[in-house]
Amino acid sequence: MKYLSVVWTVARKDLLVEIRTLERLVAMSAFSVLIGVLFHFAIDTSLIRAQTIAPSLIWMASIFAGMLGLGRIYIIEDENRALSGLLQSPISLDALYFGKVLSNFIILLSIVVLILFVFAVFFNLSFPGNLLGWTSLSAVVFLGVLSFVSIMTLLSAVAVNNTMGESIIPVLVFPLLVPTVIHTVTATNRIFANRPFVEIEGNLRILAAIVLIFLVAGASLFRFVIEE
Amino acid sequence: MIPRLQAVDVSRTFVRTRAVDGISFDLNSGELLSIFGPNGAGKTTLLKILAGVIRADEGQVSIDQKAVEASDRLWRSQIGIVTHQTMLYDQLSARENLLFYAKLFDLEDPEDRIRESMRTLDVLEMADRLVGSLSRGFQQRLALARALLHDPKVLLLDEPYAGLDLYASRLLRDRISSLKDGNRTIVLVTHSFEQGLELADRIAIQARGRFVFTALNESFHLTEFEQLYCDTLQECGV
Repeated sequence: MKYLSVVWTVARKDLLVEIRTLERLVAMSAFSVLIGVLFHFAIDTSLIRAQTIAPSLIWMASIFAGMLGLGRIYIIEDENRALSGLLQSPISLDALYFGKVLSNFIILLSIVVLILFVFAVFFNLSFPGNLLGWTSLSAVVFLGVLSFVSIMTLLSAVAVNNTMGESIIPVLVFPLLVPTVIHTVTATNRIFANRPFVEIEGNLRILAAIVLIFLVAGASLFRFVIEE
Repeated sequence: MIPRLQAVDVSRTFVRTRAVDGISFDLNSGELLSIFGPNGAGKTTLLKILAGVIRADEGQVSIDQKAVEASDRLWRSQIGIVTHQTMLYDQLSARENLLFYAKLFDLEDPEDRIRESMRTLDVLEMADRLVGSLSRGFQQRLALARALLHDPKVLLLDEPYAGLDLYASRLLRDRISSLKDGNRTIVLVTHSFEQGLELADRIAIQARGRFVFTALNESFHLTEFEQLYCDTLQECGV
């Protein structure tokens, strides 16, 4: 219980700072809307079916929006060297990691919902018409976002003590994201094509396994990247 | 007497630079050690090792003769640290900042502790102001309030007067002086000989990662110590 309270305390602080500055949310939202507008004009939907191409664009926009904002999670800690204060406190470093994952997850989830809305408007996407379809879509979004933020939160910490700064993040993150991208895009494609659940189930299982691996690896390795 | 804070042969190397090189000292309860030294002498690294922010490559730090294990994070609740960086969030109010740290340290009655800590440091009237809007002097006193929130046995101060005007600096010095209540052990790193000597029970000069001079502070005058400091550094080839 105490452990969860620490996780929530860290996440709540990050969210409170974000709500007051809106630094990352504004940049990520503007980027997401811009992507939607650009593709709306760039793609001729009389030649290409929106349902076919939209899932890839949705996840591409989500990942780039995430790269834009989530990499800056430690910037607020760098201000006044607040990170040293956190490291000097008696909390376990994996609780700190999970707190950061939670705040990043809430922020990116809200952006992905915005992206879905933007693409629904510009591409006239038809969402699943039944509860199972909605549940599957929610599960894909949940697992896709969680796998991305779990690895992003770990590797953004590398930038804190690295002379290359934030520019190192894409180099480290993109190769690790390949399995996540393959399964989220495939599953989302099948959901929008109204395919039966058995065709999506396999992707969901693999995504759940990826999330588990990334979270365990993140919690175990976090102290090695965050400590000086 | 059992030393409150003990360092035995503590060393830390960054790439090829030996930032801290075999430092040992004992400090009893109620004592204040002032550490002086040129830039790059490894003073801040030493304090970070004592605070558990970074690990020592060699040697051992003990509090009340219990060896500090880097993997055990609970001992950190016995240490408070103040540097010239406040470690506070500009976008949170003074109270929110302290409440955040109170929760991390799992303090009972956090609101009462915060009020008491802020009253002691004379920053209570700023409780609901955003930290970013406070003057440097208030921010630094708030940083001290944060460090004292969990009533640590050992207080580490790294250039706490940096960037403060004379008045704020005096005020902070008075607050630090009042913390010498016999129960707390304090390590102060400063470039200000006047303030360092005024408060110290023991003094040390650190250069090239080592303590090149240590003494009890019984009768040092400012000018005498300045000369001693320069001579010592010259002998070390700094």
